[in-house]
Amino acid sequence: MYEKDGKQYFIFDSHLHFWDASPANWKPGAEEYAKGWIECFHAYMGLGPPDTHWTLERFYKYGVEDLERDVFGAAGTDYAVLQSTYLKEWYTTGFNDIERNAQALERFPDKVFVNARFDPREGEAGMEQFIADVEKYKPRGVKLYTAEWYQGSRGWKMTDDAAKPFFDKCVELGIKNVHIHKGPTIWPLDKDAFDITDVDHVATDYNGDLNFVVEHVGLPRIEDFCFMATQEPNVYAGLAVVLGGLMHARPNFFAKVMGELLFWVGEDKMLYGSDYAIWEPKWQIDGLLDWELPDRPEYADYPGLDEDGKRKILGLNAAKLYGVEVPANLRGNVPADEPASEESAVGVAG
Amino acid sequence: MNLHARVLDALGTVFDPELDEPVTTLGFVGSCVVDEDGDVSVLLRLPTPQCAPNFAFLMAADAQAAIARVPGVRHVRVELEDHFTGREINAAVAGGEAFADAFPGETEGELDALRALFQRKALLAREGRLLWSVPDPATARLRDLAGPDAVRCRALRRALGIDAGDEAPAFVTGDGTPLSADDVARFARMASLTALSLETNGGMCRDLLRVRYPDAGREGVAA
Repeated sequence: MYEKDGKQYFIFDSHLHFWDASPANWKPGAEEYAKGWIECFHAYMGLGPPDTHWTLERFYKYGVEDLERDVFGAAGTDYAVLQSTYLKEWYTTGFNDIERNAQALERFPDKVFVNARFDPREGEAGMEQFIADVEKYKPRGVKLYTAEWYQGSRGWKMTDDAAKPFFDKCVELGIKNVHIHKGPTIWPLDKDAFDITDVDHVATDYNGDLNFVVEHVGLPRIEDFCFMATQEPNVYAGLAVVLGGLMHARPNFFAKVMGELLFWVGEDKMLYGSDYAIWEPKWQIDGLLDWELPDRPEYADYPGLDEDGKRKILGLNAAKLYGVEVPANLRGNVPADEPASEESAVGVAG
Repeated sequence: MNLHARVLDALGTVFDPELDEPVTTLGFVGSCVVDEDGDVSVLLRLPTPQCAPNFAFLMAADAQAAIARVPGVRHVRVELEDHFTGREINAAVAGGEAFADAFPGETEGELDALRALFQRKALLAREGRLLWSVPDPATARLRDLAGPDAVRCRALRRALGIDAGDEAPAFVTGDGTPLSADDVARFARMASLTALSLETNGGMCRDLLRVRYPDAGREGVAA
């Protein structure tokens, strides 16, 4: 629970990391990739307020005590979803695999969800591991990173034939939420790796069974994301990067991007994610609570966002998707059946 | 104009295909050295080491080709700095090879389709900025549009094989279909979102470049 100006808010952070990118974990022979990746993440931190920047050394690796202080302490986070990102061709024990995330689960069992992952290119062995992870850690979601390098392949698509058994297995095992993170590479390399047409296809195929949370709202393809999400009832907008990368660095773009998301996707389908430790959560929560759509002509076409809408984005929507009950005193005036409802966008006819 | 200035002018014609902005104004040209024999050496730097290889290749190859066309240039070397596929791309660009040669077995085709896809996005975004500069977008002609966005629209239309003459319809969809009167509202909405997307990406790229290379705060060419 987060308190600001005498009001209390329920905070569900749907996208965090718990990584070890320290040089000791750089895979021999792949050091330049491991170094480049974490330095890239660190550069993103540079888009937040200067007083929240960490040194690169501190950024390499952090512990449960950092999570406790920054996420559950300063930001009052009620629930946090630690997403798994493996990158085992670059990091010996992975960037943040499910076992590392489970350290946080062990320390904060009532506040943490860990999400599993799968990679269809790993075939039978990958499926067995996925099933074992689900039995052990009881995830309610998965995180998929399609630009991962694997044995000479630089990525995959969700429409690949090999992916279908994994999505079917998610349905069978009761996993509801699929978080998708697009990256700069994919097979074949001549296609746009950030294209989200494959999400569109699987979202249609699994409507009713799976929710698809497109992380960083498909950036850098926010237009494709909006055109798609407005038509797919089970596609949600993960706000990580929109908040951290734009709110401080580019407030005018932030306002317009929020306006477009509210128009095309709607406040019921937007999920707060801090992307910790790329950015600390507190300033992002404060910033969103303080934010208002500017009262200027160029913003007149966008829906606004009131306190109840902010409550949905900061916690109620994700709580609904993850099956978490929110205390009545933290719901504002939002009816129980409203968060994460499928039809909330204004949108425009196709 | 001396050779160095002409080489920089040539670099100014090289666009980031994803952002539709020249690599020079984006700050992507880290250095440009021209010696007295006409040998040119250019270092390109991108906002992150993980920028997409296909776009990175296009910028490097386009820069190589643009400089090679400048009279007085003898030899050109364009290299990507600190990029996770820089080794592959630099070798291919230096050898005049295609994208598929840089990444054997990892491609299905060349980058023409990707480039055209982003030219269509860029055209839509530019048209979005020009839409209300005319009284009636559905009947306006290209000659009614003015300014840098209009100039770029014509270039993009020529690249896409769409009529770019004065009397051609001012606003067209990516496949060249003229904007119809009953589609203006929807077209405006999609065009402005696409413009916002490109502008936001450009802003984020500039911010990341500045974090990575603190001297990149100013526009133009470093060193």
